[in-house]
Amino acid sequence: MKFDRQLLSNFDWSLLAFVLLICFVGILNIYSAGFSLMASGKTALYVKQLQWIAVGLIFMMVSFSIDYRIINRYAYFIYSISLFLLVLVFVYGYTAHGSQRWIVWGGFSFQPSELMKLTIILALARYFDNHKIKKEGCQLKELVAPFFIVFVPFLFILKQPDLGTALILLLIFVSIVFFVGIQWKSLLLAIAGTIIMVPLAWHFLKDYQKERILTLFDPEKDPLGAGYHILQSIIAVGSGGVLGKGFLKGTQTQLKFLPVQQTDFVFSVFAEEWGFLGGVLLIIGFLALILWGLKISLHSRDLVGTIISFGVTMLIFWEVFINIGMVLGILPVVGIPLPFLSYGGSSIIVLMLGMGLLMNISTRRFLLKP
Amino acid sequence: MAETKRQLNEYDSTQFEQRFKIAIVVILIGLYILVFRMWHLQVIRGPELAQRSENNSIRLRKINVSRGLIIDRNGIIIADNQPSFDLMFLPHRAKDSRFVFEQFKKLYINRKLAIPSNLSLPAESNPFIPVRIEKNISREKLAVVETNALDLPGVVVQVVPVRKYPGGETIAHLVGYTGEISREELKREQFRNYSEGDSIGKFGLEKYLDADLRGKDGAEQIEVNALGKEVRVLGRIEPIAGHNVVLTIDFRLQQIAAKALEGKTGSVIAMDPRDGSVLALVSAPSFDPNLFNGGISYEQWDKLSADPLHPMENRAVTGQFPPGSTYKMIVAAAALQEGLIREDTKFFCPGFINVGNRTFRCWQKHGHGMVNLHRAIVESCDVYFYNLGRLLDVDKLAYYARHFGFGIPTGIDLSREKAGIVPTKQWKLNKFGEPWQLGETMSIVIGQGFDLVTPIQLLNAYSALANGGTLYRPRIVDRIETSDGRVIKKFMPQPRWRIPISAANMEILKYGLWGAVNERGGTGYALKRKEADVCGKTGTAQVVGLPEDEKLRRARYVSGHLKDHALFVCFAPYNKPEIAVVVIAEHAGHGGAAAAPVARKIIDAYFELKNMRTPQDLVALGKKQDTTEVFR
Repeated sequence: MKFDRQLLSNFDWSLLAFVLLICFVGILNIYSAGFSLMASGKTALYVKQLQWIAVGLIFMMVSFSIDYRIINRYAYFIYSISLFLLVLVFVYGYTAHGSQRWIVWGGFSFQPSELMKLTIILALARYFDNHKIKKEGCQLKELVAPFFIVFVPFLFILKQPDLGTALILLLIFVSIVFFVGIQWKSLLLAIAGTIIMVPLAWHFLKDYQKERILTLFDPEKDPLGAGYHILQSIIAVGSGGVLGKGFLKGTQTQLKFLPVQQTDFVFSVFAEEWGFLGGVLLIIGFLALILWGLKISLHSRDLVGTIISFGVTMLIFWEVFINIGMVLGILPVVGIPLPFLSYGGSSIIVLMLGMGLLMNISTRRFLLKP
Repeated sequence: MAETKRQLNEYDSTQFEQRFKIAIVVILIGLYILVFRMWHLQVIRGPELAQRSENNSIRLRKINVSRGLIIDRNGIIIADNQPSFDLMFLPHRAKDSRFVFEQFKKLYINRKLAIPSNLSLPAESNPFIPVRIEKNISREKLAVVETNALDLPGVVVQVVPVRKYPGGETIAHLVGYTGEISREELKREQFRNYSEGDSIGKFGLEKYLDADLRGKDGAEQIEVNALGKEVRVLGRIEPIAGHNVVLTIDFRLQQIAAKALEGKTGSVIAMDPRDGSVLALVSAPSFDPNLFNGGISYEQWDKLSADPLHPMENRAVTGQFPPGSTYKMIVAAAALQEGLIREDTKFFCPGFINVGNRTFRCWQKHGHGMVNLHRAIVESCDVYFYNLGRLLDVDKLAYYARHFGFGIPTGIDLSREKAGIVPTKQWKLNKFGEPWQLGETMSIVIGQGFDLVTPIQLLNAYSALANGGTLYRPRIVDRIETSDGRVIKKFMPQPRWRIPISAANMEILKYGLWGAVNERGGTGYALKRKEADVCGKTGTAQVVGLPEDEKLRRARYVSGHLKDHALFVCFAPYNKPEIAVVVIAEHAGHGGAAAAPVARKIIDAYFELKNMRTPQDLVALGKKQDTTEVFR
């Protein structure tokens, strides 16, 4: 019991407050995005999102209470389960919007690819902790195993197809490798290898797959799909102006010009209604969360804690950067949710698990004083 | 615990400080880019974009593309397009959708027009997505809607190309038809490029060649003002016209074949045995593929699918029949090639034969007397082939039958083709759990046993007999062209294999087939032309198993449904065969009497059409083509 009290007294209340605050903004925003839909009689999206957040908080408690060093011991096991679920999707998965991403069980659907984002962080942390990396950074041969840890789920997710999530896995991998260090020679070799592999891989893609990728970089090619989203999104954001149109007053949003506005394009709703000022405040909010995460990482008492918290923090950063970048029309539309703001159970639960890990590491450093 | 402590003491996260700094710089740059872009959009371009959002907005407009044409070998159009008119409703143009719908109904009731059965208010979810009220409306309705356009805000007429099959029933099974893509189909990966409301080939060549025929719809992203008027086009994808398909079919011959089979149930196919090109393919009874153009009504569909004669079934490739005496050629080929008999091997036919404790009868009750192979083919003597059946192992026969293409699909470009059955000892054991009986071989040698063949298989096998032993994959599509006539794909004749029968033996068989038509007493004598150039074989496939009882045999002839299937398969001319024809008439009686005259009409027509192609005729034909704008 004493242990528990110690945990409680050292609990990272500020992080929890940050998360809850951003979630609250998210709920308001989804309320607005779904406002015009409410007449249709279905359960309002914001209520569902509230439920997801509640469930997410329970998961957060779980990932907080189990000592992360114990979690680390089971990292590969957790990774295998994650991978198994991914294969399950491949075989039995539910297809929506032309992509096979969901496992449906009972009334719930779940996206194992979301979970994978977190579990590769755990697996990579375990690996780099086991293989003490020299000061000069790791060599190419030490990167083979971590490369496959990421590459196998990467291929499965790419096949679904879910380019966005696959990309996030790569970014997490690259971030962590840079963080633990890589020798210059190895880095150059890796880059050279990638440059050779890309055209080769391109060669093996089917025509429609190539087309899909090209559309990402040139939305004009598809004015019915991606191009339409981007244009409508830019108009929505831009029309918000400096101060925004006000809560529930976004005309782009309320008139439903924007498809998928409650998921991937949720930021356009926010920017339209709250303007430049609101947008900057939200980004500052995310920045604060990210810096807090890096602080936890810096102060962690062991390498595992450092890598896990660094990985989770970078996951948040990349998702924020790519999602908002795509809403603003400067990055290709790849389908990545905006953390805590996009509607969706899988994303919320996985993020909450991640936040739980951060709190876990943050709190336990006081208990591990040497 | 001590271990952990040591580790903890050793660990110093400040070694990463440098990298934390780099990470923070990357993060700050990233987020700064976002803020900068937001500033650009919201502050600099803010007023302009706000304006655009106010009188927004941007709409998507589909540019429909016409399906490619299907054309016969002489340029006659088999599948064409014509405009049809769909009534659409744009919810955002009407202040009150309910009111407009009431107006619309009133108008229809006043004019005594049928109100579309599935007329319902569109969902409120997206006012910018047009809703289809009625498909393919009549000219009368079109006029009514157009003249009352002012009272019906939001109701617009959309011109959509739909299929027109000038040949109608004549060629229905071959071209097939198109229809709107179903929800189930939309879910499949192969149709990922299709969207709701798209037309798709549902049957026949329309289905088989859908990817080529379809083309790609274009689209325009247009900006409209508050009144819904188009302000400018922001983006455009050009539609890609569907490709034209040129068939090996000769539509004139197809028409003659359909006419010749009129009133009968069955199938006629004509083929060029030199390369497997199908010249005509008819299945009867047929249906009108034009029924499906504007969406078939439930009553019509029910009527078609409940018809006991199954008009929607393409008997040419899915009908499986006992081959009857036409199978004797395969038996003869096997026996010759295996060296069991020679050309001059004779058997005595007293009108029956006893095998084991059973008696097998010849169709000629009084017997044929002493017959050699040639006469046995000419007169289709059952007893001669019973004797071969005693010599031939059933598996050996199956080996040759398979090489003639039986028991496996021919690979023709039409879906749901059946494989037929070539029984072997193993087959019987698997199927019935019983060993093979010699009596069953007796049934097989005269084509009345377990064997089942499709008309196209039978024709293909005889085509191989005609061309000296090459089995082709039947070819219907000759080439695929762009709408301006550039050839994209050319389909070459596809020889599948050579049948392992020597040239000398082939010649013996071919001569036998010549005799069956041109010699006195031949079963196909009805087809004898003055040129004496046709070779052919009759067949009569018994519907009821071999009857022991004469009374039953007579009863069958009376009550249509139990009557035998009449078969005839032939090719011409004898020296250099260039056309082969198969005729199967269900429940029509004897092959020579019921099927041969049909084949005769097609053979006659073929040579007539061929002789017509003098230079002058071609000029005349060319003129006709110009007026129909065949090669657009």
